[in-house]
Amino acid sequence: MIANILDGLVFGLQLGLLATGLTLVYGLGGILNMAYGQIAVIAALVVAFSIEAGVPLLLAIVIGLLAGGLVGLILDQTILRPVYRLHEEPRVLLSLLLTLGLSFVIEGFLIWQFPLDALSIRIPGGTIDILGVPMRTGSLLASGITLVTFAALFLFFRYTSLGMAVRSVIENEEGARLVGVRPNQMLRLILFLSGVLAGLVAVTRSMVTPVDTHAGLSITVFALIVTVVGGLGSVAGAFLAGIILGIINVVAADFIGSYISLIMLLVAAALTILIRPAGLLGVPE
Amino acid sequence: MLEVKNLSAGYSGNNVVHDASFNIEAGEVVMIIGSNGAGKTTLFKAVSGLLSASKGQVHFDGRDISQLPAEEVSRLGMSFVPAERHLFPRMTVRENLVLGAYPHRPDADTLASVLALFPRLEERLTQHAGTMSGGEQQMLAVGRALMSKPRLLVLDEPSTGLAPLLAQAAYEALRVLQQQGMTILVAEQQVPLAMSISDRGYVLENGLISLQGTTKELAANPGIRSAYLGVS
Repeated sequence: MIANILDGLVFGLQLGLLATGLTLVYGLGGILNMAYGQIAVIAALVVAFSIEAGVPLLLAIVIGLLAGGLVGLILDQTILRPVYRLHEEPRVLLSLLLTLGLSFVIEGFLIWQFPLDALSIRIPGGTIDILGVPMRTGSLLASGITLVTFAALFLFFRYTSLGMAVRSVIENEEGARLVGVRPNQMLRLILFLSGVLAGLVAVTRSMVTPVDTHAGLSITVFALIVTVVGGLGSVAGAFLAGIILGIINVVAADFIGSYISLIMLLVAAALTILIRPAGLLGVPE
Repeated sequence: MLEVKNLSAGYSGNNVVHDASFNIEAGEVVMIIGSNGAGKTTLFKAVSGLLSASKGQVHFDGRDISQLPAEEVSRLGMSFVPAERHLFPRMTVRENLVLGAYPHRPDADTLASVLALFPRLEERLTQHAGTMSGGEQQMLAVGRALMSKPRLLVLDEPSTGLAPLLAQAAYEALRVLQQQGMTILVAEQQVPLAMSISDRGYVLENGLISLQGTTKELAANPGIRSAYLGVS
Protein backbone atom coordinates (compact mmCIF):
# COMPACT_ATOMS: atom_id res chain seq x y z
CA MET A 1 0.00 0.00 0.00
CA ILE A 2 2.84 2.39 0.87
CA ALA A 3 4.44 1.47 -2.44
CA ASN A 4 1.17 2.36 -4.20
CA ILE A 5 0.95 5.71 -2.49
CA LEU A 6 4.54 6.55 -3.28
CA ASP A 7 4.05 5.59 -6.92
CA GLY A 8 0.86 7.64 -6.90
CA LEU A 9 2.75 10.62 -5.51
CA VAL A 10 5.38 10.37 -8.25
CA PHE A 11 2.69 10.25 -10.93
CA GLY A 12 0.52 12.79 -9.12
CA LEU A 13 3.27 15.41 -8.97
CA GLN A 14 3.63 15.09 -12.72
CA LEU A 15 -0.12 15.37 -13.21
CA GLY A 16 -0.08 18.51 -11.10
CA LEU A 17 2.68 20.12 -13.12
CA LEU A 18 0.94 19.03 -16.31
CA ALA A 19 -2.28 20.73 -15.27
CA THR A 20 -0.53 23.89 -14.11
CA GLY A 21 0.40 24.93 -17.63
CA LEU A 22 -3.15 24.36 -18.85
CA THR A 23 -4.99 25.87 -15.89
CA LEU A 24 -2.97 29.11 -15.88
CA VAL A 25 -3.68 29.81 -19.53
CA TYR A 26 -7.35 29.09 -18.99
CA GLY A 27 -7.65 31.13 -15.81
CA LEU A 28 -5.78 34.06 -17.28
CA GLY A 29 -7.09 34.22 -20.79
CA GLY A 30 -10.13 31.98 -21.06
CA ILE A 31 -8.18 29.83 -23.49
CA LEU A 32 -8.45 26.06 -23.48
CA ASN A 33 -5.30 24.85 -25.19
CA MET A 34 -6.04 21.42 -26.66
CA ALA A 35 -2.62 21.35 -28.35
CA TYR A 36 -0.94 21.36 -24.95
CA GLY A 37 0.10 17.70 -25.13
CA GLN A 38 1.57 18.18 -28.59
CA ILE A 39 3.69 21.05 -27.27
CA ALA A 40 5.06 18.62 -24.69
CA VAL A 41 5.80 16.10 -27.45
CA ILE A 42 7.55 18.72 -29.59
CA ALA A 43 9.71 19.66 -26.61
CA ALA A 44 10.47 15.98 -25.95
CA LEU A 45 11.51 15.39 -29.57
CA VAL A 46 13.69 18.51 -29.57
CA VAL A 47 15.47 17.20 -26.47
CA ALA A 48 15.84 13.73 -28.03
CA PHE A 49 17.25 15.08 -31.32
CA SER A 50 19.58 17.47 -29.48
CA ILE A 51 20.99 14.57 -27.46
CA GLU A 52 21.37 12.55 -30.68
CA ALA A 53 23.23 15.48 -32.22
CA GLY A 54 25.72 15.35 -29.37
CA VAL A 55 24.41 18.24 -27.25
CA PRO A 56 25.06 17.66 -23.51
CA LEU A 57 21.97 16.45 -21.64
CA LEU A 58 21.32 19.56 -19.53
CA LEU A 59 21.73 21.91 -22.47
CA ALA A 60 19.49 19.67 -24.57
CA ILE A 61 16.82 19.92 -21.89
CA VAL A 62 17.10 23.71 -21.79
CA ILE A 63 16.76 23.84 -25.59
CA GLY A 64 13.70 21.57 -25.39
CA LEU A 65 12.02 23.72 -22.72
CA LEU A 66 12.67 26.88 -24.72
CA ALA A 67 11.24 25.16 -27.79
CA GLY A 68 8.06 24.46 -25.78
CA GLY A 69 7.92 28.09 -24.70
CA LEU A 70 8.48 29.23 -28.26
CA VAL A 71 5.51 27.18 -29.48
CA GLY A 72 3.43 28.95 -26.82
CA LEU A 73 4.56 32.33 -28.13
CA ILE A 74 3.83 31.29 -31.72
CA LEU A 75 0.28 30.31 -30.69
CA ASP A 76 -0.11 33.74 -29.11
CA GLN A 77 0.94 35.48 -32.31
CA THR A 78 -0.96 33.26 -34.77
CA ILE A 79 -4.06 31.15 -34.20
CA LEU A 80 -5.01 32.81 -30.90
CA ARG A 81 -5.27 36.23 -32.57
CA PRO A 82 -8.91 35.81 -33.62
CA VAL A 83 -9.66 34.27 -30.22
CA TYR A 84 -8.51 37.43 -28.42
CA ARG A 85 -11.28 39.41 -30.10
CA LEU A 86 -13.96 37.30 -28.43
CA HIS A 87 -15.02 37.11 -24.81
CA GLU A 88 -16.61 34.70 -22.40
CA GLU A 89 -17.98 31.42 -23.79
CA PRO A 90 -17.37 32.08 -27.51
CA ARG A 91 -13.74 32.74 -26.64
CA VAL A 92 -13.34 29.43 -24.81
CA LEU A 93 -15.09 27.54 -27.60
CA LEU A 94 -13.10 29.11 -30.43
CA SER A 95 -9.82 28.52 -28.60
CA LEU A 96 -10.82 24.91 -28.02
CA LEU A 97 -11.71 24.34 -31.69
CA LEU A 98 -8.66 26.07 -33.13
CA THR A 99 -6.15 24.42 -30.82
CA LEU A 100 -7.85 21.04 -31.27
CA GLY A 101 -7.44 21.43 -35.02
CA LEU A 102 -3.84 22.44 -34.51
CA SER A 103 -3.22 19.43 -32.29
CA PHE A 104 -4.36 17.12 -35.13
CA VAL A 105 -2.07 18.90 -37.58
CA ILE A 106 0.94 18.72 -35.27
CA GLU A 107 0.30 15.11 -34.29
CA GLY A 108 -0.23 14.08 -37.91
CA PHE A 109 2.98 15.75 -38.93
CA LEU A 110 4.98 14.25 -36.07
CA ILE A 111 3.68 10.74 -36.66
CA TRP A 112 4.40 11.07 -40.38
CA GLN A 113 7.93 12.39 -39.92
CA PHE A 114 9.04 10.79 -36.67
CA PRO A 115 6.88 7.68 -36.17
CA LEU A 116 9.34 5.78 -34.01
CA ASP A 117 11.13 8.56 -32.14
CA ALA A 118 10.78 8.97 -28.43
CA LEU A 119 12.49 10.69 -25.53
CA SER A 120 13.78 8.44 -22.81
CA ILE A 121 16.22 9.87 -20.32
CA ARG A 122 17.96 7.15 -18.36
CA ILE A 123 18.99 8.17 -14.87
CA PRO A 124 21.73 5.86 -13.56
CA GLY A 125 21.72 4.52 -10.01
CA GLY A 126 19.09 1.76 -9.79
CA THR A 127 16.83 2.16 -6.77
CA ILE A 128 16.82 3.93 -3.43
CA ASP A 129 14.74 2.76 -0.47
CA ILE A 130 12.08 5.23 0.70
CA LEU A 131 10.05 4.05 3.73
CA GLY A 132 11.23 0.56 2.90
CA VAL A 133 10.03 0.76 -0.67
CA PRO A 134 12.64 0.62 -3.43
CA MET A 135 12.08 3.67 -5.69
CA ARG A 136 13.82 4.17 -9.00
CA THR A 137 16.22 7.10 -9.01
CA GLY A 138 14.55 8.35 -12.20
CA SER A 139 11.21 8.61 -10.39
CA LEU A 140 12.79 10.37 -7.44
CA LEU A 141 14.68 12.85 -9.59
CA ALA A 142 11.55 13.56 -11.63
CA SER A 143 9.58 14.20 -8.43
CA GLY A 144 12.36 16.36 -7.03
CA ILE A 145 12.44 18.53 -10.16
CA THR A 146 8.66 18.84 -10.06
CA LEU A 147 8.64 19.87 -6.40
CA VAL A 148 11.35 22.47 -7.00
CA THR A 149 9.35 23.79 -9.95
CA PHE A 150 6.22 24.10 -7.83
CA ALA A 151 8.19 25.92 -5.14
CA ALA A 152 9.59 28.31 -7.75
CA LEU A 153 6.10 28.92 -9.19
CA PHE A 154 4.76 29.55 -5.68
CA LEU A 155 7.48 32.12 -4.94
CA PHE A 156 7.03 33.76 -8.33
CA PHE A 157 3.28 34.19 -7.95
CA ARG A 158 3.39 35.13 -4.27
CA TYR A 159 6.29 37.53 -4.08
CA THR A 160 7.26 39.02 -7.43
CA SER A 161 5.45 42.00 -8.84
CA LEU A 162 5.13 40.25 -12.21
CA GLY A 163 3.68 37.15 -10.57
CA MET A 164 1.19 39.25 -8.62
CA ALA A 165 0.23 41.06 -11.81
CA VAL A 166 -0.53 37.71 -13.45
CA ARG A 167 -2.72 36.74 -10.48
CA SER A 168 -4.49 40.08 -10.61
CA VAL A 169 -5.67 39.33 -14.16
CA ILE A 170 -6.97 35.92 -13.04
CA GLU A 171 -8.73 37.59 -10.09
CA ASN A 172 -10.33 40.50 -11.93
CA GLU A 173 -9.23 41.54 -15.40
CA GLU A 174 -10.86 44.99 -15.31
CA GLY A 175 -9.34 45.67 -11.91
CA ALA A 176 -5.96 44.61 -13.25
CA ARG A 177 -6.26 46.99 -16.19
CA LEU A 178 -7.27 49.82 -13.85
CA VAL A 179 -4.00 49.50 -11.94
CA GLY A 180 -2.01 49.45 -15.18
CA VAL A 181 -1.49 45.71 -15.77
CA ARG A 182 -1.46 44.84 -19.50
CA PRO A 183 -3.50 41.63 -19.72
CA ASN A 184 -2.25 40.65 -23.18
CA GLN A 185 1.36 40.91 -22.03
CA MET A 186 0.59 38.71 -19.04
CA LEU A 187 -1.11 36.18 -21.30
CA ARG A 188 1.91 36.07 -23.62
CA LEU A 189 4.17 35.48 -20.63
CA ILE A 190 1.94 32.68 -19.35
CA LEU A 191 1.67 31.03 -22.78
CA PHE A 192 5.46 30.95 -22.84
CA LEU A 193 5.58 29.59 -19.29
CA SER A 194 2.92 27.03 -20.16
CA GLY A 195 5.01 25.78 -23.10
CA VAL A 196 8.06 25.51 -20.86
CA LEU A 197 6.04 23.57 -18.26
CA ALA A 198 4.71 21.23 -20.97
CA GLY A 199 8.32 20.58 -21.96
CA LEU A 200 9.34 20.03 -18.35
CA VAL A 201 6.56 17.48 -17.90
CA ALA A 202 7.79 15.64 -20.98
CA VAL A 203 11.37 15.65 -19.67
CA THR A 204 10.51 14.45 -16.16
CA ARG A 205 8.08 11.89 -17.52
CA SER A 206 10.79 10.53 -19.80
CA MET A 207 12.88 9.74 -16.73
CA VAL A 208 10.18 7.24 -15.72
CA THR A 209 8.77 6.02 -19.03
CA PRO A 210 9.50 6.91 -22.69
CA VAL A 211 7.56 9.85 -24.15
CA ASP A 212 6.78 9.00 -27.78
CA THR A 213 5.28 10.81 -30.75
CA HIS A 214 1.76 9.62 -29.88
CA ALA A 215 1.73 10.83 -26.27
CA GLY A 216 0.15 14.24 -26.98
CA LEU A 217 -3.54 13.45 -26.67
CA SER A 218 -3.22 11.53 -23.43
CA ILE A 219 -1.13 14.34 -21.93
CA THR A 220 -3.85 16.86 -22.82
CA VAL A 221 -6.61 14.63 -21.45
CA PHE A 222 -4.78 14.07 -18.16
CA ALA A 223 -4.11 17.81 -17.89
CA LEU A 224 -7.79 18.60 -18.52
CA ILE A 225 -9.01 16.14 -15.89
CA VAL A 226 -6.63 17.48 -13.26
CA THR A 227 -7.53 21.07 -14.18
CA VAL A 228 -11.24 20.38 -13.74
CA VAL A 229 -10.69 18.74 -10.35
CA GLY A 230 -8.24 21.37 -9.12
CA GLY A 231 -10.18 24.42 -10.19
CA LEU A 232 -9.54 26.57 -13.23
CA GLY A 233 -6.75 29.07 -12.79
CA SER A 234 -5.45 27.67 -9.51
CA VAL A 235 -1.85 26.42 -9.31
CA ALA A 236 -2.36 25.18 -5.75
CA GLY A 237 -5.51 23.40 -6.97
CA ALA A 238 -3.57 21.73 -9.78
CA PHE A 239 -0.92 20.57 -7.29
CA LEU A 240 -3.47 19.16 -4.85
CA ALA A 241 -5.66 17.56 -7.53
CA GLY A 242 -2.61 16.08 -9.24
CA ILE A 243 -1.51 14.30 -6.08
CA ILE A 244 -4.99 13.05 -5.22
CA LEU A 245 -5.65 11.80 -8.77
CA GLY A 246 -2.16 10.32 -9.02
CA ILE A 247 -2.81 8.19 -5.98
CA ILE A 248 -6.33 7.25 -7.15
CA ASN A 249 -4.87 6.26 -10.50
CA VAL A 250 -2.16 4.00 -9.13
CA VAL A 251 -4.35 2.42 -6.47
CA ALA A 252 -7.16 1.77 -8.97
CA ALA A 253 -4.71 0.30 -11.46
CA ASP A 254 -3.28 -2.00 -8.81
CA PHE A 255 -6.51 -3.20 -7.22
CA ILE A 256 -8.75 -3.33 -10.27
CA GLY A 257 -6.61 -3.10 -13.37
CA SER A 258 -4.86 -0.48 -15.39
CA TYR A 259 -7.68 -0.49 -17.95
CA ILE A 260 -9.93 1.04 -15.30
CA SER A 261 -7.60 3.74 -13.99
CA LEU A 262 -8.36 6.40 -16.61
CA ILE A 263 -12.07 5.76 -16.08
CA MET A 264 -11.56 6.26 -12.35
CA LEU A 265 -9.95 9.64 -13.04
CA LEU A 266 -12.86 10.66 -15.27
CA VAL A 267 -15.29 9.56 -12.53
CA ALA A 268 -13.36 11.67 -10.03
CA ALA A 269 -13.57 14.65 -12.37
CA ALA A 270 -17.31 14.12 -12.96
CA LEU A 271 -17.95 13.83 -9.21
CA THR A 272 -15.99 17.02 -8.63
CA ILE A 273 -18.14 18.90 -11.11
CA LEU A 274 -21.30 17.55 -9.47
CA ILE A 275 -20.25 18.30 -5.90
CA ARG A 276 -18.00 21.33 -6.30
CA PRO A 277 -18.37 22.82 -9.80
CA ALA A 278 -15.51 25.30 -9.32
CA GLY A 279 -13.07 22.50 -8.44
CA LEU A 280 -11.14 21.96 -5.20
CA LEU A 281 -9.57 25.41 -5.07
CA GLY A 282 -11.34 27.25 -7.90
CA VAL A 283 -13.36 30.42 -7.51
CA PRO A 284 -17.11 29.77 -7.32
CA GLU A 285 -18.99 32.03 -9.71
CA MET B 1 -5.93 68.78 -16.66
CA LEU B 2 -8.79 66.76 -18.12
CA GLU B 3 -10.82 68.03 -21.03
CA VAL B 4 -13.64 65.98 -22.50
CA LYS B 5 -15.05 67.20 -25.79
CA ASN B 6 -18.26 66.02 -27.48
CA LEU B 7 -17.86 62.52 -26.12
CA SER B 8 -20.40 59.89 -27.14
CA ALA B 9 -20.21 56.35 -25.85
CA GLY B 10 -22.37 53.30 -25.33
CA TYR B 11 -22.70 49.60 -25.91
CA SER B 12 -22.99 47.68 -29.21
CA GLY B 13 -23.58 50.79 -31.28
CA ASN B 14 -26.21 52.33 -29.04
CA ASN B 15 -24.91 55.49 -27.48
CA VAL B 16 -25.88 56.04 -23.87
CA VAL B 17 -23.97 59.29 -23.50
CA HIS B 18 -24.25 61.94 -26.20
CA ASP B 19 -21.91 64.81 -26.92
CA ALA B 20 -20.71 65.25 -23.36
CA SER B 21 -18.21 68.05 -22.77
CA PHE B 22 -16.65 68.96 -19.45
CA ASN B 23 -13.30 69.79 -17.95
CA ILE B 24 -11.42 69.73 -14.68
CA GLU B 25 -8.41 71.80 -13.66
CA ALA B 26 -5.61 70.74 -11.34
CA GLY B 27 -6.65 70.97 -7.68
CA GLU B 28 -10.38 71.08 -8.40
CA VAL B 29 -13.07 68.72 -7.22
CA VAL B 30 -15.74 68.33 -9.89
CA MET B 31 -18.92 66.29 -9.62
CA ILE B 32 -21.09 64.77 -12.31
CA ILE B 33 -24.52 64.32 -10.79
CA GLY B 34 -27.52 62.57 -12.20
CA SER B 35 -30.06 59.91 -11.38
CA ASN B 36 -29.62 56.18 -11.80
CA GLY B 37 -29.34 55.35 -15.51
CA ALA B 38 -28.42 58.87 -16.59
CA GLY B 39 -25.17 57.57 -18.12
CA LYS B 40 -22.63 58.51 -15.45
CA THR B 41 -21.01 55.07 -15.40
CA THR B 42 -20.84 54.86 -19.19
CA LEU B 43 -19.29 58.32 -19.32
CA PHE B 44 -16.64 57.43 -16.74
CA LYS B 45 -15.86 54.11 -18.37
CA ALA B 46 -15.26 55.92 -21.64
CA VAL B 47 -13.05 58.51 -19.93
CA SER B 48 -10.99 55.86 -18.13
CA GLY B 49 -10.58 53.64 -21.20
CA LEU B 50 -12.60 50.65 -20.00
CA LEU B 51 -14.98 51.44 -22.85
CA SER B 52 -13.93 52.98 -26.14
CA ALA B 53 -15.73 56.16 -27.06
CA SER B 54 -17.65 56.17 -30.32
CA LYS B 55 -17.08 59.88 -30.87
CA GLY B 56 -15.27 62.82 -29.34
CA GLN B 57 -11.98 63.39 -27.54
CA VAL B 58 -10.60 63.04 -24.06
CA HIS B 59 -7.50 65.12 -23.41
CA PHE B 60 -5.50 64.36 -20.29
CA ASP B 61 -2.67 66.82 -19.74
CA GLY B 62 -3.03 67.86 -23.36
CA ARG B 63 -2.75 64.33 -24.71
CA ASP B 64 -5.64 62.64 -26.54
CA ILE B 65 -6.36 59.45 -24.58
CA SER B 66 -9.74 58.64 -26.09
CA GLN B 67 -8.41 55.59 -27.94
CA LEU B 68 -6.15 54.34 -25.14
CA PRO B 69 -7.11 51.23 -23.17
CA ALA B 70 -7.59 51.53 -19.38
CA GLU B 71 -4.16 50.07 -18.53
CA GLU B 72 -2.40 52.84 -20.47
CA VAL B 73 -4.65 55.59 -19.08
CA SER B 74 -3.84 54.35 -15.58
CA ARG B 75 -0.10 54.50 -16.33
CA LEU B 76 -0.47 58.12 -17.42
CA GLY B 77 -1.63 59.10 -13.93
CA MET B 78 -5.41 58.83 -13.91
CA SER B 79 -6.77 56.38 -11.32
CA PHE B 80 -10.34 55.21 -11.78
CA VAL B 81 -12.35 53.70 -8.92
CA PRO B 82 -15.42 52.08 -10.52
CA ALA B 83 -18.66 51.57 -8.61
CA GLU B 84 -18.07 47.79 -8.74
CA ARG B 85 -14.59 48.41 -7.27
CA HIS B 86 -13.00 45.51 -9.16
CA LEU B 87 -10.78 44.46 -6.29
CA PHE B 88 -8.72 41.25 -6.31
CA PRO B 89 -10.88 39.20 -3.91
CA ARG B 90 -8.53 36.31 -3.15
CA MET B 91 -5.53 38.53 -2.66
CA THR B 92 -4.71 40.21 0.63
CA VAL B 93 -5.31 43.87 1.35
CA ARG B 94 -1.56 44.39 1.21
CA GLU B 95 -1.30 42.68 -2.19
CA ASN B 96 -4.17 44.79 -3.52
CA LEU B 97 -2.37 47.93 -2.38
CA VAL B 98 1.00 46.80 -3.77
CA LEU B 99 -0.65 46.13 -7.14
CA GLY B 100 -2.07 49.63 -7.04
CA ALA B 101 1.46 50.92 -7.60
CA TYR B 102 2.07 48.60 -10.57
CA PRO B 103 4.25 48.73 -12.69
CA HIS B 104 6.30 50.56 -10.07
CA ARG B 105 7.41 49.32 -6.67
CA PRO B 106 5.08 50.49 -3.93
CA ASP B 107 6.37 53.60 -2.27
CA ALA B 108 6.60 53.39 1.56
CA ASP B 109 5.47 56.98 2.09
CA THR B 110 2.44 56.53 -0.18
CA LEU B 111 1.51 53.32 1.61
CA ALA B 112 1.85 55.08 4.96
CA SER B 113 -0.39 57.95 3.84
CA VAL B 114 -3.03 55.53 2.50
CA LEU B 115 -3.00 53.64 5.80
CA ALA B 116 -3.20 56.93 7.69
CA LEU B 117 -6.26 57.87 5.64
CA PHE B 118 -7.84 54.43 6.17
CA PRO B 119 -6.55 53.04 9.50
CA ARG B 120 -8.98 50.15 9.12
CA LEU B 121 -6.96 48.84 6.20
CA GLU B 122 -3.85 48.65 8.35
CA GLU B 123 -5.66 46.28 10.74
CA ARG B 124 -6.62 44.08 7.79
CA LEU B 125 -3.45 44.00 5.72
CA THR B 126 -3.26 40.21 5.70
CA GLN B 127 -6.97 39.62 5.15
CA HIS B 128 -8.36 38.67 1.73
CA ALA B 129 -10.09 41.60 0.07
CA GLY B 130 -13.15 39.48 -0.78
CA THR B 131 -13.90 38.77 2.88
CA MET B 132 -14.19 42.42 3.90
CA SER B 133 -17.33 44.50 4.41
CA GLY B 134 -18.60 46.87 1.72
CA GLY B 135 -17.24 49.92 3.52
CA GLU B 136 -13.81 48.37 3.88
CA GLN B 137 -13.80 47.31 0.24
CA GLN B 138 -14.59 50.87 -0.77
CA MET B 139 -11.67 52.10 1.33
CA LEU B 140 -9.40 49.53 -0.28
CA ALA B 141 -10.55 50.52 -3.78
CA VAL B 142 -9.70 54.16 -3.10
CA GLY B 143 -6.48 53.19 -1.33
CA ARG B 144 -5.41 50.99 -4.24
CA ALA B 145 -6.10 53.84 -6.66
CA LEU B 146 -3.96 56.20 -4.57
CA MET B 147 -0.96 53.87 -4.50
CA SER B 148 0.07 54.92 -8.00
CA LYS B 149 0.24 58.56 -6.84
CA PRO B 150 -2.28 59.64 -9.47
CA ARG B 151 -2.63 63.21 -10.61
CA LEU B 152 -6.35 62.71 -11.16
CA LEU B 153 -8.62 60.51 -9.07
CA VAL B 154 -11.88 59.51 -10.78
CA LEU B 155 -14.59 57.89 -8.68
CA ASP B 156 -17.86 56.43 -9.90
CA GLU B 157 -20.52 56.46 -7.17
CA PRO B 158 -18.29 55.93 -4.15
CA SER B 159 -21.44 55.70 -2.01
CA THR B 160 -22.76 52.62 -3.87
CA GLY B 161 -23.91 49.89 -1.55
CA LEU B 162 -22.89 51.75 1.58
CA ALA B 163 -25.09 52.59 4.56
CA PRO B 164 -25.53 56.38 4.99
CA LEU B 165 -22.90 56.68 7.73
CA LEU B 166 -20.34 54.74 5.73
CA ALA B 167 -21.08 56.78 2.61
CA GLN B 168 -20.44 59.91 4.63
CA ALA B 169 -17.19 58.44 5.93
CA ALA B 170 -16.14 57.73 2.34
CA TYR B 171 -16.73 61.38 1.47
CA GLU B 172 -14.86 62.50 4.60
CA ALA B 173 -11.83 60.64 3.21
CA LEU B 174 -12.26 62.36 -0.15
CA ARG B 175 -12.40 65.70 1.63
CA VAL B 176 -9.06 64.94 3.29
CA LEU B 177 -7.61 64.14 -0.13
CA GLN B 178 -9.02 67.37 -1.52
CA GLN B 179 -7.32 69.30 1.27
CA GLN B 180 -4.07 67.58 0.38
CA GLY B 181 -4.50 69.02 -3.11
CA MET B 182 -5.78 65.97 -4.98
CA THR B 183 -7.73 66.63 -8.17
CA ILE B 184 -10.96 64.63 -7.95
CA LEU B 185 -13.71 63.88 -10.46
CA VAL B 186 -16.69 62.13 -8.90
CA ALA B 187 -19.99 60.84 -10.23
CA GLU B 188 -22.76 60.57 -7.70
CA GLN B 189 -26.51 60.19 -7.48
CA GLN B 190 -26.61 61.09 -3.80
CA VAL B 191 -26.20 64.71 -4.70
CA PRO B 192 -25.82 66.24 -1.22
CA LEU B 193 -22.79 64.00 -0.61
CA ALA B 194 -21.13 65.09 -3.85
CA MET B 195 -21.94 68.73 -3.14
CA SER B 196 -20.22 68.46 0.24
CA ILE B 197 -16.80 68.26 -1.44
CA SER B 198 -17.20 69.73 -4.94
CA ASP B 199 -16.16 73.09 -6.32
CA ARG B 200 -18.17 72.70 -9.52
CA GLY B 201 -20.50 70.27 -11.13
CA TYR B 202 -22.32 69.06 -14.21
CA VAL B 203 -25.79 67.55 -14.35
CA LEU B 204 -26.19 64.51 -16.59
CA GLU B 205 -29.73 63.69 -17.69
CA ASN B 206 -30.61 60.95 -20.18
CA GLY B 207 -27.04 60.92 -21.44
CA LEU B 208 -26.86 64.67 -21.99
CA ILE B 209 -25.16 67.29 -19.88
CA SER B 210 -28.07 69.60 -19.19
CA LEU B 211 -26.60 72.03 -16.70
CA GLN B 212 -23.33 73.13 -15.23
CA GLY B 213 -22.10 75.58 -12.66
CA THR B 214 -20.42 76.04 -9.33
CA THR B 215 -21.71 73.92 -6.49
CA LYS B 216 -23.31 77.02 -5.00
CA GLU B 217 -25.18 77.84 -8.22
CA LEU B 218 -26.35 74.27 -8.66
CA ALA B 219 -27.48 74.02 -5.03
CA ALA B 220 -29.55 77.17 -5.55
CA ASN B 221 -31.11 76.01 -8.82
CA PRO B 222 -34.82 75.27 -8.28
CA GLY B 223 -34.80 72.36 -10.76
CA ILE B 224 -31.87 70.71 -8.98
CA ARG B 225 -33.40 71.36 -5.60
CA SER B 226 -36.61 69.56 -6.46
CA ALA B 227 -35.08 66.77 -8.54
CA TYR B 228 -31.99 65.86 -6.51
CA LEU B 229 -32.13 67.54 -3.13
CA GLY B 230 -35.66 66.66 -2.18
CA VAL B 231 -36.60 70.29 -1.71
CA SER B 232 -39.72 71.55 -3.43
